Amino acid sequence: MATEIKLTRKDFMSDQTVRWCPGCGDYAILATVQKTLPRLGIPKEKFVFVSGIGCSSRFPYYMDTYGIHSIHGRAPTLATGIKLSNPDLSVWVITGDGDALSIGGNHILHAGRRNVDLNILLFNNRIYGLTKGQLSPTSPVGTKTKSSPYGSIERPLYPVEVALASGATFVARTIDVLQKEMGEIMYQAALHKGLAFIEIMQNCVIFNNGAWFDYSDRKKRADNDLFLEAGKPMVFGKNRDKGLVLDEEQGGFKVVEIGEEYSIEDITIHDPTSLENAFLLSQLDYPMPLGIIYQVTKPTYCEGMWGQIQQVKAQKGEGDLHDLYFNADTWEVTAEEEEIKAEVRGQVDASLDEAYIDELLGVEAPEADLAEQLASMTLHDLKPKAPITIRPDALMDHALHLMREHGIGALLVVSPDRHLMGIITEADILDRVAGKDIDLHQVTVQEFMTTEPVALPLYASVLEAVHFMTQRRFRHLPVVDENLHPVGVISSRDLAEFLIKHL
Amino acid sequence: MTEQKHVPVKELEDVVIRFAGDSGDGMQLTGSQFTNTAAIVGNDISTFPDYPAEIRAPAGTLGGVSGFQVHLAEHDIWTPGDSPHVLVAMNPAALKVSLPDLEPGAIIIVNTDAFTPGNLKKAGYESNPLEDGSLNQFQVIPVPITTLNRNAVQDVEGLDKKSIDRSKNFFALGLIYWMFDRPLEPSIEWVKKKFGKRAPAVAEANIKALQAGYFYGETAEIFQTRFRIKPAKLPPGTYRKISGSEAAAIGLVTAARKANKPLFYGAYPITPASDILHNLAPLRNFDVITFQAEDEIAAMGATVGAAFAGAMAVTGTSGPGIALKSEAMNLAVMLELPLVVIDVQRGGPSTGLPTKVEQSDLLQIMFGRNGESPMPVLAASSPADCFDTVIEAYRLAVRAMAPVAVMMDGYLANSSEPWRIPDPDTIEPIVIEHPTEPNGPDGKFLPYKRDPVTLGRPWAIPGTPGLEHRVGGLEKSPEYGNVSYAPEHHQRMVNERAAKVARLADIIPEQEVFGPEEAELLVVGWGGTYGAIHAAVSQAQAKGQSVAQVHIRYLNPFPRNLGFILQNYDKILVPELNMGQLAMLLRDRYLVDVISLNKVQGRPFKVSEISAKIDELLAGE
Ligand code: SF4
Repeated sequence: MATEIKLTRKDFMSDQTVRWCPGCGDYAILATVQKTLPRLGIPKEKFVFVSGIGCSSRFPYYMDTYGIHSIHGRAPTLATGIKLSNPDLSVWVITGDGDALSIGGNHILHAGRRNVDLNILLFNNRIYGLTKGQLSPTSPVGTKTKSSPYGSIERPLYPVEVALASGATFVARTIDVLQKEMGEIMYQAALHKGLAFIEIMQNCVIFNNGAWFDYSDRKKRADNDLFLEAGKPMVFGKNRDKGLVLDEEQGGFKVVEIGEEYSIEDITIHDPTSLENAFLLSQLDYPMPLGIIYQVTKPTYCEGMWGQIQQVKAQKGEGDLHDLYFNADTWEVTAEEEEIKAEVRGQVDASLDEAYIDELLGVEAPEADLAEQLASMTLHDLKPKAPITIRPDALMDHALHLMREHGIGALLVVSPDRHLMGIITEADILDRVAGKDIDLHQVTVQEFMTTEPVALPLYASVLEAVHFMTQRRFRHLPVVDENLHPVGVISSRDLAEFLIKHL
Repeated sequence: MTEQKHVPVKELEDVVIRFAGDSGDGMQLTGSQFTNTAAIVGNDISTFPDYPAEIRAPAGTLGGVSGFQVHLAEHDIWTPGDSPHVLVAMNPAALKVSLPDLEPGAIIIVNTDAFTPGNLKKAGYESNPLEDGSLNQFQVIPVPITTLNRNAVQDVEGLDKKSIDRSKNFFALGLIYWMFDRPLEPSIEWVKKKFGKRAPAVAEANIKALQAGYFYGETAEIFQTRFRIKPAKLPPGTYRKISGSEAAAIGLVTAARKANKPLFYGAYPITPASDILHNLAPLRNFDVITFQAEDEIAAMGATVGAAFAGAMAVTGTSGPGIALKSEAMNLAVMLELPLVVIDVQRGGPSTGLPTKVEQSDLLQIMFGRNGESPMPVLAASSPADCFDTVIEAYRLAVRAMAPVAVMMDGYLANSSEPWRIPDPDTIEPIVIEHPTEPNGPDGKFLPYKRDPVTLGRPWAIPGTPGLEHRVGGLEKSPEYGNVSYAPEHHQRMVNERAAKVARLADIIPEQEVFGPEEAELLVVGWGGTYGAIHAAVSQAQAKGQSVAQVHIRYLNPFPRNLGFILQNYDKILVPELNMGQLAMLLRDRYLVDVISLNKVQGRPFKVSEISAKIDELLAGE
């Protein structure tokens, strides 16, 4: 792929006029990025630059790539969303010391911890530039600004230390005046899989000029800057006569002169995979370590996320909406069932609905169409006779008298508040009395009645009545209203007459 | 005549049952088991879990009471019921907390074993309410549940006393199953599936407890009645039980499929929105990326980034989260990127009442961002409706190229109802055309050159050659999108961002009216109050009162015929679980005199509260 794409710095320059203050370190950084990207062999449309708020955060407007100038401190969050959604993109975060370490501090920590495959360029000028010169979280103690006229009393954060603590897998530092070295670090960061964090010491000519003078000045930097190279001794100085030696007792690096006491062999070799050494280096300001301080390979967040997606697909197969919808206990409501349910409405029986429905469907005698007709008619249509009722404490001979008088075979026993309590039928009486010497003047209805009989509401279907009469061999069925007050009685004879008349 | 001897079964139109105990008593589980069985048997259901605000208050205290309310009915139901007909109280605190909701005559089943002097004291009872006559107006059924359960479960090997006692909620459940004539099988199956392999002893204990409770009901002769709820009449189809959180999650996955995009859901844990995240997280094989962010801000930022990258981007939160997200929501308004923000509302202000229901974020969603920042707003009206609402929200988002808010609430999110499962193939695709060619002069791509009809801008996604462009939170020039503070540019961009939202009214359905087109009273609501309002209006109409109902799903923009509808009624009543937020919008927009019915008690409306207001307003005629 790399051979096919021929891009130059110009391809990455947008048509917008760059508007930083003349002499601002940001210009050099912009130029270096624009020169580095063509080396990567990545098609231009795959780059996305995301920034927060601050002078540096104007950066995306000057890049002819996809870009978002977002809100203060939040660039890492947008970048995470972009990279997760399309891991194919090369996503760059442009941020400053206030943006990344003050208002957006939390997001830097979590981008590092997750090892999101982003390239974060933190422009550290140790001041708030855009808001015209307040102290920043990287300003040294004592810094006098408009908001700290007596000097800062806050201890600063060191971006490299924060990045290491967060778990970033590539941590480097560079400085705006050294474009070649900066470009090489950016190149390595872009190749790195995982979170690459680069602190760029940047000069703000207006509000904090010379903040990095010791490390950027042509005369001073040779003595003060330490250029780290993996596998090489950490030597620095104009004459390369100084070096770092790990001081076990002090628990840090000490600066030694190479000569009598120490030889080049004594100088500690830079091992970018050592987190301990990286932390020790992050504490130094003399010399100032520049270059790749720490680099290890760990699984990235996107690999984890899309790996899970592939893994779950392998286990469960490509997601299917139909399966998703039905992944629960389901039940069917059919038009037919609805009708049947309507039929059993109001039946006063203890059997479960299902069992009852099954039983109802199992009624053999009437043919299908007959059953349908019967199901469509209610007991209303059958015009049940008004019930003859009796109180439970009445005497049995009174009951017999009533039956004879009305020419009926059953009486309904009701409580004083008109609730159906029982039924008393000819058959009951015969069963109990036959062959026994029972004085019907002495016993009450209560002792003879059948308690809690099956009753049907008025709106029950005739089919239900047929069911009870044929299957359960009842000869009389009380009919009740919704308050369980009896409103009628149906006898098997009534039913037979009704059937003959209607069918 | 041969007759069976049995406890009579009373047919009910509907019944409301509440299970209440310590949060450690498994009352949520018990309630949801009962609900599952109810649904399988075919009743209409509506549930309302009432989580304790404190995750684990000390057992036995009022703060630790956890409840689950189930409403079963043979007809369509819309609310979890006003006041429980049956209360299962596992301890004195549960009894005390629930008593104010009960009406005289309600049945209370109490676990007498838990009415120890210690527990009574913890609940703040000076004397034992089971003995002091204070419950005379209720039908109290004392059952020594702990003891009975211990007897029933004691032979299960490998369980200590504590684990045995843990199964007592299943004893209570079995008792309720008997009382309401429910089959045990679905719960037995569930227990086997849930515990069978991992903890056979627990499974056995729970099944034994369940059966023991059922048999106790059958043999103890302490109940005068059993109840049966007639099966609900629902339109034909295949149904399942669904909560609002589930429906929202499934709806989002559906929308992503229909839009042919991966779903990016960025969220930070917050009650009561987290269940949407929980429901989405397992669905990786649907190309679902769930991003549990470090904070609400990051969740929103990542969602904006995902939208820029071309994913279907969604975030979900509750009011306090919206407060934190508002800056990045505003960025989405400015970048003009399509995404969905779900607000599962809870009681406020501040941390407020995290587990309680309220509708008080409407104005926050409408106006809670700096600058002129209009956002389309939709509200779901029932748990199952969350499915349709989120799909609709995304349709609008990609049309207007704008973030769209979906209002839910804790009650919708946690409640369940039967959902008629649609055929996924019949859901319309969400057609999105990402440009691939420049749209400006000299091969330039103009990111803010709007569609003349929708006023949406082109959604060019990174990776498309030739369309590289920058967007940002700064005001910009029309069409070109370059940073510009020119007076006429700002005015025009503000106008256009408002106009594209307003133009959604061209395609959203006209507002429907339930009831007469002209009447004395119109009741206007939005969101999760649908059920209560609908029940009250239905009842009023059945009584012959001159009332109609309008329930607004589209809160911004309003349906184009809404203003016209409002003119056809003498009085307009707006019940809301806030202090009058929709009322304010209606007054402002239509200059109509609306009457508010407001409630902020952390609870849904009772049907009776709305009915009373309807009666009051009509009595004046
Ligand atoms: S204020 Fe400082 S940092 Fe900002 S552009 Fe000017 S020189 Fe650069």
